[in-house]
Amino acid sequence: MKRKINLNRPKISADEIAQRQNFDSVLKGNATAGKPFFKKPWFLSGIVVATVAVVTTVALLNKSQNIPNSDQASLEQQNDSLALEKVYALEQAKPCIAPPIDGLNIPYTTYKVLAENGGKFEFKTGSIFTVPKNAFIDSDGNIVKGEVEIRYREFHDMVDVFVAGIPMTYDSAGTRYHFESAGMMEMRAYQNGKEVAIAKDRSINIEMSSNDADPKHNLYLLDTVQNNWACLGKDKIVKATEPEKSEAKTILSLNETPEYKTIEAKKAEAKTIKEEKIAALPKVPAEPKKPAKVNTAKYTFDIDVNTKEFPELSVYKGVLFEVGDENKNFDKSMYDVIYDNASIKNGTKKNENYLLTLLKGSKKIDLVVYPVFEGKNYETAIKSFQEKFEKYTAVLENRKAEEKKIEAEYLAKVAEYQKRQDEMARQWKEKQDEAFKALDTEQKVKRVFAINNFGVYNCDNPNAYPTGVACTAELKNDLNKKLHVYDVFLVEKGRNAMFSFSRNPVTNFSFDPAAKNILWTVEHGVLYYLKPEDFNAIKNGNGTRDIRLNKVSEKFSNAEEMKTFFGI
Amino acid sequence: MLQPSKYHATTTDLNNENALVEAAKKDPHQFAALYSKYYERIFRFIYQRLDDKEQAFDSTQQVFIKALEKLPKYEFKGVPFASWLYRIASNEVVDLFRTQKAQRTVNIDSISVYNIIEEIQESKIDEYHDKIVNIIADLPEDELQLIEMRFFEKRAFKEIAEILNLTENNAKVKTYRILEKLKKTIK
Repeated sequence: MKRKINLNRPKISADEIAQRQNFDSVLKGNATAGKPFFKKPWFLSGIVVATVAVVTTVALLNKSQNIPNSDQASLEQQNDSLALEKVYALEQAKPCIAPPIDGLNIPYTTYKVLAENGGKFEFKTGSIFTVPKNAFIDSDGNIVKGEVEIRYREFHDMVDVFVAGIPMTYDSAGTRYHFESAGMMEMRAYQNGKEVAIAKDRSINIEMSSNDADPKHNLYLLDTVQNNWACLGKDKIVKATEPEKSEAKTILSLNETPEYKTIEAKKAEAKTIKEEKIAALPKVPAEPKKPAKVNTAKYTFDIDVNTKEFPELSVYKGVLFEVGDENKNFDKSMYDVIYDNASIKNGTKKNENYLLTLLKGSKKIDLVVYPVFEGKNYETAIKSFQEKFEKYTAVLENRKAEEKKIEAEYLAKVAEYQKRQDEMARQWKEKQDEAFKALDTEQKVKRVFAINNFGVYNCDNPNAYPTGVACTAELKNDLNKKLHVYDVFLVEKGRNAMFSFSRNPVTNFSFDPAAKNILWTVEHGVLYYLKPEDFNAIKNGNGTRDIRLNKVSEKFSNAEEMKTFFGI
Repeated sequence: MLQPSKYHATTTDLNNENALVEAAKKDPHQFAALYSKYYERIFRFIYQRLDDKEQAFDSTQQVFIKALEKLPKYEFKGVPFASWLYRIASNEVVDLFRTQKAQRTVNIDSISVYNIIEEIQESKIDEYHDKIVNIIADLPEDELQLIEMRFFEKRAFKEIAEILNLTENNAKVKTYRILEKLKKTIK
């Protein structure tokens, strides 16, 4: 089979992977693997299925011969009733907290604490809980010593609550309400796999991050035996302080990452390499100076000069020094004198003019002079200059070309590094956006309360069912077959509330037509839903209507995927 | 530039881990700690070689079931327990390909390709990017594994050697030979 290439496939988050851990199934798998084949479940269940299949086939063959076709509808109805009975039986048997979709749940974060010492812990949302010393007791009421494992999780929206299977109905004085949540958390504690409780004189302080600062909410504890919530009064609301500090802590600068710094270093290294390569190129000699022809109308001096001191004057033979026009003190009589000494030094313009000093006795004359050539010396000098200038130009052009090539290589390298940095910046921005999004929903306020028992705590506000349109419906799946489900959930987008309606086949539900509603239910682990726009066709009226739900074909591996799917 | 591998373990780490293994031999429930510790790494190892995420999760689970089953025969040889798990995972994916239950997939990220191009000291990064991807995808399986582990999974040669049952030096030599081969093939 040919290999498939995936280029830059999106990475799966550690959270998503962690959620798929299922050690129980490993233990079960191991237990099964260790048994002889005739004791393995697949063999035993195979025998049972085969036996049932044989018996059923025989029975159906007999029946199909005896029952007329007109009774098929009645048979289907019977099967339908049996399926519903099964749903109701399962509903009766399920625990108070029952995740409706296998493999989809809100994972716990575990913390280890030494019972004798207690400790303060921070959850990923910024929530903090404080465990006092000797806070735990075992099932016999003895104070627990040693390491205790605390399992903690939070539920901040209705998808979190739904996938965790936490009931959101609240019966008060015979009236059924639904909760609108400002945040919910669950905490449990274990030692050596056995659940422990909070000691009578101890309590664990919870500072739960929430984005709802409304004081209308009460604090409730889920009573998993009574399957109802117990109101504990009000929690304390504390405004989160210094959000900027939290942001700074959460979102690092891209420039601080080792990957980015490495590329920056490589950029600097490329620049150094470029500079070294340029420095190593053959040196370009000084530009040769064009010899000047003597002006016959001017006076010149023929003087021996030290070639070591003035190498530029020894390039060409027969150099003369012409008296410049700037010498206002020059008189032609000066030209006829035989001087005791004559010396040359650099003039006002380097390599262009010189200062000639003539001495006669105590008399000293300074003249600005220019090197010139005459006759054959000039012709030889100009010819030599042309050759030198051609060579100079060739070397110069060659160097410029080499420098250009080195610069181009450098720029290409820098562009590659920049491209990688741009990609890093793009990925970084995505991370930043996610972090900001998380900050947006977290850490606005802390809802503070103390707990004396482990369990699920809810900062909630009971609400009546929505009104506007009331409907009685027979729910069907995407293939127009009856759905055999117990609970149907209505979620209003933009409001942290979920309303459940029970007992299909005939489901009565109501909704606010002004809200953006989603209805969903689960049959055999498959999610079916009604889109917000589908509610437009549902009007108040008598009788039962068929409502066909859409099937969610995707298998969500975590709550975030479900939120993305429903835009919650 | 390769990212530094996180692969290192002190003797104390190894001994502590082996204590967990020995406890799990006596009581399979104790295997939970090793399962939690290595679940993500084994999943990523398998998913690197597969296309289907769900299949990768299923295979990861199978690896741990098999590991627990074979645990009584496990002998501590002074290397991390992970090496043993990776070998089981490696056999698991080979089985999937052999029985054609899964397609061998080469998951490549561009940054790693750029690292390879730099490693073979070529400057035409963009020009060679696609060529390198195709050449890597066609490498023999043993060579592909070395490239995957070194460049895509950023493993230390020591760890690669332990997973593939080679000496560290042999893993290095083989990897550099493959890079030389890539350098020649690309031109």
